[in-house]
Amino acid sequence: MTANPRQWLRAVFGALEALCSRVFTPAWNPLLQLGALGWFFFWVVVVSGIYLYVFFDTGITRAYDTVEALTHAQPWAGGVMRSLHRYASDGLVAIALVHLLREFALDQMRGKRWFAWITGLPSLMLIYVSGITGYWLVWDVMAQYVAVTTAELLDVLPLFGEPISRNFVNELSLSSRFFTLMSFIHIAAPLLLLLFMWIHIHRHSVARIQPARGLGLLVLGSLLVLSIALPAVSQARADLDVVPATIGLDWFYLPAYPLVQQWGGVTVWQVLGGTLLLLGLMPWLPRKRSPPVAQVSLLNCNGCGRCVADCPFGALSLEARSDWQTYSAEAVVNADRCLSCGLCVGACPTATPFRSASVFSAGIELPQLPLVALREQLRKSCATLTGSDRLVVFACEHAGTMSADLRRNSAVAQMPCIGMLPPSFIDFVFARRLADGVVIAGCGANACYQRFGQRWTEERIAGQRDPWLRARVPRERIALSWAADLRTFRSTLSSLPPLRLSKTDTGKPGLLPAGPRWPVAVRAAGIALLLGMFGGVTAVLATEPAWRQLAPHEAVVRLSIRHATATKIQCKPLTPQQMTDLKPNMRRPVDCPRERWPVYLELEREGKLLYHGTHLPSGLWNDGAATVFRTFRIPAGPQSIVVRMRDSGRASGFDQVRSGTIDLQPGQNFVIEFHSGEGFVWR
Amino acid sequence: MSLIAWREEFTIGLPDVDHEHRELIAMINALHESLGPAAEVERIVAALGEIQARIAAHFALEEREMRRLDYISVTEHKDDHERLLDDIMEITDAVESPADYDPEAFGQRLSRWFTDHFRTHDARLHRWLAGRN
Repeated sequence: MTANPRQWLRAVFGALEALCSRVFTPAWNPLLQLGALGWFFFWVVVVSGIYLYVFFDTGITRAYDTVEALTHAQPWAGGVMRSLHRYASDGLVAIALVHLLREFALDQMRGKRWFAWITGLPSLMLIYVSGITGYWLVWDVMAQYVAVTTAELLDVLPLFGEPISRNFVNELSLSSRFFTLMSFIHIAAPLLLLLFMWIHIHRHSVARIQPARGLGLLVLGSLLVLSIALPAVSQARADLDVVPATIGLDWFYLPAYPLVQQWGGVTVWQVLGGTLLLLGLMPWLPRKRSPPVAQVSLLNCNGCGRCVADCPFGALSLEARSDWQTYSAEAVVNADRCLSCGLCVGACPTATPFRSASVFSAGIELPQLPLVALREQLRKSCATLTGSDRLVVFACEHAGTMSADLRRNSAVAQMPCIGMLPPSFIDFVFARRLADGVVIAGCGANACYQRFGQRWTEERIAGQRDPWLRARVPRERIALSWAADLRTFRSTLSSLPPLRLSKTDTGKPGLLPAGPRWPVAVRAAGIALLLGMFGGVTAVLATEPAWRQLAPHEAVVRLSIRHATATKIQCKPLTPQQMTDLKPNMRRPVDCPRERWPVYLELEREGKLLYHGTHLPSGLWNDGAATVFRTFRIPAGPQSIVVRMRDSGRASGFDQVRSGTIDLQPGQNFVIEFHSGEGFVWR
Repeated sequence: MSLIAWREEFTIGLPDVDHEHRELIAMINALHESLGPAAEVERIVAALGEIQARIAAHFALEEREMRRLDYISVTEHKDDHERLLDDIMEITDAVESPADYDPEAFGQRLSRWFTDHFRTHDARLHRWLAGRN
């Protein structure tokens, strides 16, 4: 049977994460801090952007000139900043997309985890808006392509009164103030993005917004190397009178743009809208069944707040006491946010199996897995174990399948997350001589599905987080699946001196020994290789492969008409009697119905009709100008062209005609306009 | 006679914490009164288990209050809590080894375990709190 895409993706991520943990160490593993890396790239873009903004000038010629000056006159400052700005924004898109894919693969977006997913979508869109407007500002041929295509795309939507494409029809139509608008959007969108990023992490307590310092330095270093080795440069200066045949495209930001030409704007919007809708619905496709949420037992809760501190999802709070007891606070569960991971149970000081034999309840418990049941299960399954290598395996739901060696002579207790395990249970296993060793099996290192399960477990064992594992528990008999070599653990157990519980005279328990690692040289080479690959792919996709929007022997003809026709009915003077018949506020000397005639247009090339269509005047009363904007790609060389217009009430024939033979140069942008009084104007 | 008689020094000035001090003393006294021959070990261990849980919760609450009030000696005080939690496990272990079990010595040890912390760390916290007001 084939696995579904999610399982397949999950396996891919699992393998990549394991590799990266080996190479980078779990603490520096970039795949386990994608969100934090996204923030990091964002700040690199912001800082470099502020520098660039100081030197940037808005204006048709100034925009290109100032960017060129930045790049070439101060290569070690402006040039590097510009390259950082580009490559970090490409990195931001790449990281955001991988982040999205990983959350999907690990199914960390359905059910109650919908919030971050949904708020991530506008963030992603704002990244695109920021990037696209940024490329626009450079005003090279790619910017020109972006401007023309974006206008074409936006004109499909019923947003603007008349096509905004007419702003980019030729050099005469362009206004410098357009660059002012673009730089405004290019600053506003990232600010809005920051707001959404902040909302995005809102439901995560102690959200990680900084990568590990070492990793951050490595990434910054790679960006710098990339910026110096392959500086970001402008392409040729934009010239709206010429349509560039091939353009280097940034495929991180502009993958949809070539599709506008291939499919047309309507289809592109449908595909984009459909994709976005699908992404937006994904947290509920299908709906996730949520297990019962954590329950507070007030008789066992004194409001110490440890569960509140340890909840990864901000689902717990301390509120005013609601019962007869004299305490001032109690823990309260927010059912909409509780993911039933049980980390609160592991934090509760009353969650200890040493309590009275029969029944007990911790201050907070998961109804589906009460600690009393866990203790009974443990006792029963341990009774069957024999020898000196008996194991208890505390496993989380997301830990992979255990090896045959681990399953042999072992008792397995499963829980939603390993962070649910109160440390006293480990103590209990040894104190009651239930087993000789304890394995704590969780997700891959630093990849805890419930965010903090592993970290809290490690810190509790090391006496750095409450509740501490008691000092008397022999640490050498505990193995964490994500840190230790489990293949040798069992044999190590048999060789240990007899189990004895006693406080070590060193006082505080030490940290757990680290797992096996590759030699430093191998890891350094691996880091260089992986970062080099990431940087290389980023640099290449930032301009390559070039996109050919026009065949070598093609030119572009644009029909760009804005024409207010005559009104349908001539103005009529009103007689005094007619005026008296009207209501006082409606009285006027002449009656002028405002409706205008529609425009019918035909464009013919070499005797064949290229285009024909009727265009209504704009406005609610059809009293404005009719606008037409159409683009045609035709072979270069001598072409006989006829353009005809009917703009009066006549049923047939034409009011305006112009014909002629033009010699189109390859790549020429030939624009046909209509000016009242002059007729058709083309150049 | 109770093992631990209530004394004014057990009050430190935080209502939630003082309330628990009274309850804990009551629990320990109840256990002491029921002490008997070694045959009852299981019941004693169960009672000690309950005391462990309650005292751990009590320390957790007291630590939260100390942090909230920015108590200067919170680290030392917390370390002593952890030492006490280690000790109570050892006291329990001693009860579980019938050869070593002596009700009289056990009672004395339990009483010392509880009151020493009061005389030192809790008293310091009390003075600090009083000085603050």
